[in-house]
Order: sequence, then structure tokens, then C-alpha cells
Amino acid sequence: MQQIWLITGPPGCGKTNWIRETLLNHGGSCAYLRLDGTSHDGLELGHNAGIDRSWLMDQIPQLEDWSEPTSDSQLSSSDRFVLIEAQQFSAPKPSADGPDPEIKQQLDRFNLTHNRMLHFGVDPELPKQDTLDFTRLEAWHLDLQGCVWDPNSLSSFWFELVNGAYGDMYRAKALMNMPDGRSFFCNWMVSQSGSQFLPLQSVVPPTGRPRRRSHLVIQGKDLIPSGIESTINDCLLSDDVLELQQAPLRDQQSNLQPTF
Amino acid sequence: MAHAVISCLHANLAAFEAVLDDIDQQGIKTITCLGDLVGYGPQPNEVVELVRQRAIPTCQGCWDEDIIDGLNACECSYPSQLAERRGHQAHHWTANCLTDDNKAFLAQLPTTLRRDKLLFVHGSPNSQHEYLLPDMNAFAALERVETAGAETLFCGHTHQPYVRELSGGSIRVSVQQSGSEPAREQEMTLPMCRIVNAGSVGEPRHGSTKATYVVHDDVSGEVSIREVNYDVAKTCQAIVEAGLPEVFAWRLSHGFEYAGAPKMPAMCASDD
Amino acid sequence: MIERWALVSGLCGDLDLYERIQSDLKKQRDIADLFVLGDLIGPDRNCDALLMRLRQPKRGDLQPNCIYGWWEEQLLVDYGYRGDQKPDVCNDPDGATTMRHLREAVSQEHLNWLSSLQFGFIELDCGLIHGSSADVGVPLQETTSPLILLDRLTRLDVNRLFTARSGRQFRLQLTGGQIQSKVKDHAREGQSNQAVPKRSVIGIGSGANYTVYNPASDHIKFLSVAGRSGRSNLGFG
Repeated sequence: MQQIWLITGPPGCGKTNWIRETLLNHGGSCAYLRLDGTSHDGLELGHNAGIDRSWLMDQIPQLEDWSEPTSDSQLSSSDRFVLIEAQQFSAPKPSADGPDPEIKQQLDRFNLTHNRMLHFGVDPELPKQDTLDFTRLEAWHLDLQGCVWDPNSLSSFWFELVNGAYGDMYRAKALMNMPDGRSFFCNWMVSQSGSQFLPLQSVVPPTGRPRRRSHLVIQGKDLIPSGIESTINDCLLSDDVLELQQAPLRDQQSNLQPTF
Repeated sequence: MAHAVISCLHANLAAFEAVLDDIDQQGIKTITCLGDLVGYGPQPNEVVELVRQRAIPTCQGCWDEDIIDGLNACECSYPSQLAERRGHQAHHWTANCLTDDNKAFLAQLPTTLRRDKLLFVHGSPNSQHEYLLPDMNAFAALERVETAGAETLFCGHTHQPYVRELSGGSIRVSVQQSGSEPAREQEMTLPMCRIVNAGSVGEPRHGSTKATYVVHDDVSGEVSIREVNYDVAKTCQAIVEAGLPEVFAWRLSHGFEYAGAPKMPAMCASDD
Repeated sequence: MIERWALVSGLCGDLDLYERIQSDLKKQRDIADLFVLGDLIGPDRNCDALLMRLRQPKRGDLQPNCIYGWWEEQLLVDYGYRGDQKPDVCNDPDGATTMRHLREAVSQEHLNWLSSLQFGFIELDCGLIHGSSADVGVPLQETTSPLILLDRLTRLDVNRLFTARSGRQFRLQLTGGQIQSKVKDHAREGQSNQAVPKRSVIGIGSGANYTVYNPASDHIKFLSVAGRSGRSNLGFG
């Protein structure tokens, strides 16, 4: 029977990482859907910019994307493993029968019924994570479609961002494009030591600005969006500079001998 | 007799005043400055004027030179586009802010100062832009001092204070020329010398926000590295009020250099 | 198999000398690379024929790999290729006359090619330059302070440094020595010893005097087109 699990938890607790490992271990037919999270007074949700979906689909080639409801994709398949992710700050009440109403509403729209529901910090099958107490959380995001970074500038900016130069940061994640055609999933959470910089498997040719998804999503307190945008502007490559960096890469690639 | 050497003030008035207080409290009358009076910081005129008022002999730093000669003359290489843009922004702001009189003062600063066997430079005797790092090749370091005809070289530019003593040195060579003469063996004994880096008053990069400078006793030869607390928040406020990027204030208050190198691995290597 | 190098300098426009050197090299075994370490031109004769020959070698010539030397630097400075500088030769009493002769000796069609020449080559851990690593016009010779020679080797980070400016043929080997370094900063103190590396500076000669080097055996031969030297073989070959 098709397994449909609903995985919830606060931002940065490790939902996407756990989903990635679980689906890689499963190895078979699988699908993923990220729902909008539940609202909570004073706690802004991180924008659902498709970062996690893009990252998972890059890592798991057979993963089906269920973000667009179609009747074909939801034909029940006996061994398909479906994981649905949603951000939810607080744990479900023990007396609650079913998921949060906002999540239930979205599941209904997708015509989905889950077999199982797991919440980080509650269910022992999920890894224990330090999740912080907070009463107020702001969110901000920036679409970086078509933007390409100077790599050393990205390192400097990310260091400033996660160390509080632009407000008290709680969570930061992004998909960022490099001039050589690579893209990186940048991931940081205040309770973890160090950031993850994970290269995507797919690399596009260094021929101008890539069209794939690129976005920055942050959550924290006393955020300074103007400072962030100003710094990002200084980090991004202009058309001229991008061409200067990509032209020799294209020449190198055209000189490579094909291997058999 | 003790004398103080300061460097890399970077238009940070609160730090400079705190260092001068510290020097004055020790009764030290002779101060030499190794340049970079301006650059990134919010009070270039005030700092230059205080140097002039106190008549502190000063050699020209790389930032002082670049403000006079313009951006195109700058030999600095920045570690990233972000650092370069911020550097240029600071350059333009400083150049617009400095009075003509203070610019003229910076323009006439000598590149080196000498007192007996003591030589004072910003970067190295070769260039205001050359870094003399504490772990550079020891023979190359000695060559810088020896070729300049000094026994103790005071330098700045790196913003990290240190004292390096090079001693017990020798080089043996064998020389063969065309013809049939046998090779000649020779040995050169190397003189003892010291390189003293004064760190930075206005933009410390040694892992703390304290201003640093050095005190040298030219009789005993002893050198001490001094760290001085100052009101960092005051300079940070001045940065913001001056309209300089607020992130400069964050960097200064955390002891990071203004145009810092990345602290995390850049996205340049292949997958690991 | 690594073949031998011929190192030449100071041709100063003398095509006849160059042809004699090429002919000399053809008679020797296993010389595959010819390096011309600057001063291809000079003020004393017309240099165009030599420059054409270097740029378009004849069939049978060893292909020359050229770098710029002091005379090339004077000409390029004079024509503004180095910004606002003045040629050093102008400081000499006859400097103005010398510069005029130099300009007359080299047709302007060669200027772009001369400006494209590099300061030096790094080949197989050997530096090949005209003067010193710090300055094209400064000669390095066997009487230069070993501390300076070691520094010039360190600047290029090479084991062998071939230089031509002094016009002398010599091999100076650094055979030993050390230095102690003590460093103290605000947090800690440390001490280390550094040994003198086993490196060499080789003066290759100039004009009719040239050098043949075997990078595999580190063997040097100081030669002259006027005749081969008798027992000037150095090294382990």
C-alpha cells in the first residue's frame, strides 16, 4: 500500500535532511510535497520558495514532485513512499485528532490522506534536535533567479549573515548560483555548529545566467533587509564580469577530449 | 629610553585617543607612526589633525598613498568582489571627506623614517604594499632589514603585532667559474636583526577589538606589545552617522577586518 | 627524455653572432631548447634583421624562447609602454644620444612583439631571467651577497636561477647554513630554525659566451662560439 507520511516541525529542525536520507534509503518510487506551514502569532513563516523541493529533486532523481496536483501523479502505487513536509512551530496537542486544520485544508486540496504523522521533538522515530524557545520570529526572503555570485563574496556575506551582522539570525537557507555553472544549497540553523554548503548534482553550462531556482530565505529577529540587499548587490556578478569568468571555462570545456 | 610606535590608525579617533593616553601615562615622549592614518574609518580629518597637532613623525601608508594617487594607482588586491566594492566605497568617501590641507599633509609624508639603526616603514622597505608576515621565509625577512641598513625594522600593514628576532645565521656557498679553477668555498655570517610589527590602532585583526601598539627601549632592546581598550561603540556610532556602510561597524565591533577574507570555505573546490 | 637547454643573452642585434651560435648548437647533442635571456637589441647596430630571425626562425634553427632584458625595457619605457617612467639610460651623460641610437636601431613594427615578451620563464623548477627577480636592470654575480642571492631565489621559489645581466659565467651553489627565528605576539612565543636550501644561481654569460644546461643531471657547460672551453664542465654529468 502506498505510504503517505506527514512530517512536521519548527524551522531548521532537520525535516528536509531526514526526508532526503529516508528517501535515499527507500530507493524506490517516491514523491515529495511541501505544504505552507501553520501560522502562529508573532512567528513568521519562512517563505516556501521551493528551495527544499529543488534540493531533494536534485539529490533523488526518481523523486516525483507533487507540488502541482494532477490526478496522474496520485495514482496509488503499492510501493510509492510519499513524504509531505510542513513547518509547524508547536507540537500537536496529545488530544488532537489529526493534523492542524491549516495543514488539513491543504491536504484536502491535494486530495491526500496521510497514513502517518510525525512531529520533530515528539516522535522518537525522528532525530532529536535542539529547537529553541522563541516568542517572536521575523521572516524575509529574496528571489535570486538569474543571479550569479562571486564565490568569495558569498562566503563573506554568509559569514556576516549567520553571525548576526543583519539581525539575530535563527535560520537561513538558500540555493545560490556560481559562475562555473554549479549551484549550492546553503543551510544554517542557530542550534547547529557550522553551515552546510552542498553542491547540487546538476551543473549547467557556463553560458550566461542560469534559469534554475535561486532564492534566499531567512528567519530571525531585528532583521535588516536593506543591509542584506545592499551587501548582496555588491556580491553579484554583472553581465560583463560574468562573461569574463565564463569565457575561459567554455574554452576549457571545448578543449576537453571526449572519454569513452 | 622607551619610545612608542603606532600604526594603521584608519580614521578611528576613539582608538587613537585611547592609545595616546596610554602612551602619555607611561611618560613616553617619542612616538613614531607607520602610516595608514585614514581608510574605512569615520574620522579621517580628526585623526590626521591630531597627528599633526602632536607632531608625530609619520611615514606614508598604502591607504595614505592611494588617497593621494587615486584608485587607479592602488596596488591592493582584494580577496573578493564584495571586499573590493567596500574598499572603493571607503576610498571615495575618505577622498571626498578629507580637507585639501590634510591631503597635502599625507602627500608629503616620507615612505621611510630612520633613527640610527632603527628603520620605520609601513609595509616593507621595498613597498608600502608588501606584507612582512611573522612566518615569512626567515632569510627573506633578514634580507629586508639588512639591505635597508638597519638592525631593527618597525613595520605595520598586517594589523597583527609581533616581534621577530633573527639570529645565529650563516650561509655557506661554493663558487665555480668558467675555466679550470677549483670551486671556492665561502661562509657569510649573518647579523642579528629584529622585525617589530606594531599591529593596528584603528582596525585590529589579532582576534580582539583592543587597539595595539609597541613600546621599544632602545637601550635594553626590550619590546613590549601593548593592548588598549577603547570605546568601540563610539566609533561604531560615528561610522553609522557618517553614512558609511553599517556593516563596517559590525565588523569593527567584532574584531574583523573591514575588507575581510572569507571565514568559511569558498565555493571554489569540487564536490567533497 | 629531458633534453639540454642552451642559454644565450646579449645578442644586441648581432645576427651574425646568433647564426654562429645556432651553428655551434647544431653540432652538439641533445640540445632541444634555446632560451634568449634578453638584450636581443642594443644601440650599436641595426637590430631588425635579428629580430625578424627570432620572430620567424629559419628551417633548421633551434626555436628561440625570448624574454625581455634591460635594453628592451629602455626602449619600451621610451615609447610609453610602461606608463610615465623615463628610461634609466637617460640618467647617463650620453643618455639622450644612446636612446636616439636605440630608437633608430629598432623598427617600430617590432615594438608590440617586444612588449609581449615576459619577464622570465619558470621551467622545471628553474627561473630564467635577465637581471634579478626584483629588477631587470640589476645584475646578480658571484660577488653579490649570498643573502641577496638567496632572497632572489626565494622570490621566484626556484631551485636554480639563471641570470644574464652581469655577462659573467659562474655557478654559485648554496651549500649550507641556517638561521634561528624567535617570534612573540600578544598571545604566545615560538622558536624555529630554518636551513639554507641547496640552490644555485648561474650566470650564463653574454654575447659570444653562452651556457648549456642539462636539467636531468644538473650539469652545466660554459661555452663560447670562439671555441669550446676545456675543463669547464660542472655538475655530475
